[in-house]
Amino acid sequence: MSIIEFHQTSKHFGDLKVLDEVDLSIEQGEVVVLIGPSGSGKSTLLRCINGLEQITGGDLIVDGISVREGGRQLRRIRQEAGMVFQQFNLFPQMTALQNVAFGPRKVRGLGRAEAEAQALELLDKVGLKERAHHVPSALSGGQQQRVAIARALAVRPKVMLFDEPTSALDPELKQEVLTVMRQLAQEGMTMVVVTHEMGFARQVGTRLIFMEHGKISVDGNPVEVITNPPSDRLKDFLQHVE
Amino acid sequence: MEIDWSVIPGFLPQLAAGARVTILIALAGLVGGTILGLIAGLMRAYGGRVLNAIAFIYIELIRGTPIVVQVMFLYFAMPVLTGLRVDPMTAAILAIVVNAGAYIAEIVRGAFLSIPRGLTEAGLAMGLPQWKVLTHIVGPLAFRRLIPPLGNQFIVSLKDTSLFIVIGVGELTRTGQEIMASNFRAVEIWTAVAVIYLILTGTLTAILRLIENRMRIL
Repeated sequence: MSIIEFHQTSKHFGDLKVLDEVDLSIEQGEVVVLIGPSGSGKSTLLRCINGLEQITGGDLIVDGISVREGGRQLRRIRQEAGMVFQQFNLFPQMTALQNVAFGPRKVRGLGRAEAEAQALELLDKVGLKERAHHVPSALSGGQQQRVAIARALAVRPKVMLFDEPTSALDPELKQEVLTVMRQLAQEGMTMVVVTHEMGFARQVGTRLIFMEHGKISVDGNPVEVITNPPSDRLKDFLQHVE
Repeated sequence: MEIDWSVIPGFLPQLAAGARVTILIALAGLVGGTILGLIAGLMRAYGGRVLNAIAFIYIELIRGTPIVVQVMFLYFAMPVLTGLRVDPMTAAILAIVVNAGAYIAEIVRGAFLSIPRGLTEAGLAMGLPQWKVLTHIVGPLAFRRLIPPLGNQFIVSLKDTSLFIVIGVGELTRTGQEIMASNFRAVEIWTAVAVIYLILTGTLTAILRLIENRMRIL
């Protein structure tokens, strides 16, 4: 069974059709890179997976549960699908450590000591152990995003969703975030990544999806697709990105 | 007529009794008003269409009418309509609850909606139910933003209690009026009354300053 299955999934915002009967299966261990022009539906597709956007047609199954179930079932999906946002969205009133320990404590019901011990390990993993007691505003953008990755990992998800994780970062700060993501992929984490980082797509991605007008227009091996774009639109798009 | 400040100490016990009534109305009214405002404000911010509409109508009714009319309605019109008679003190407290509640509702709504949507999404995305996102993430942040405008409303409501002179509540302003009626010492009495109000609002301001300094407004 695939970990994520889109079945004729549609999403409307009023009259606007943002996802148009998408069929897509993602297997455990895949690193799927989603690209496409703005408004093509790539972020919406990602946000439908954990129900931050409600689908309006078809079905979408994550780890065996339909996002249409809502309520408690949707919360189970969200525990299995961690998300990293473009704007980091760290809780500003908490230190890095508290941010990372928050999910395990409030979602998984762990005790404070245990949650914070785990959080420290995760911060160490993203190279920020010595920053554990800083609040987000005292961290650089790249550091904030690495804390955000640790926070998402802390809930022990099976899949990680990344929504343009480096788009708000200066070029020199992007690399530290991409390094953490690369490491995560090497550990076998299933990842769905909306990004414009074609270098990452080529080196780390196991699959590249190009979206246009709410539909998947190209789906293939990143290296093959980038070296030899099967459509003119993709070729055009790649020239603009790189 | 000569101004003679020495008459004031003699009236202090009477003025202090009036101030106690003022404090009681303001305190009880604002505790109730804050609770009502919190509920109405959250209904506006997060309620469905029906809850939102109910809160909206309540807020507009109160903001659109003077507090004197509201207390007159509670004291004189409500008994006719419902057969329930309330004493002046209860009517006064209710008027502050209902009046401050409407303004506090807008303050609460503004504070909660000013917290970036992304923080709510980050909470939901980890699998938290909406109410936990509100109590653990958005609420604590909104609370800090609530304090300055809330303090402002507390001061306004405290002073609004002086309007309950119209239904004969023996609060500070009415006490001043009564003393005046017997000795005509306008300058001395109204100065004393004003100073007591200043002490009350000043104390409130100092408490709020303390709370603000205790927590960083994010």
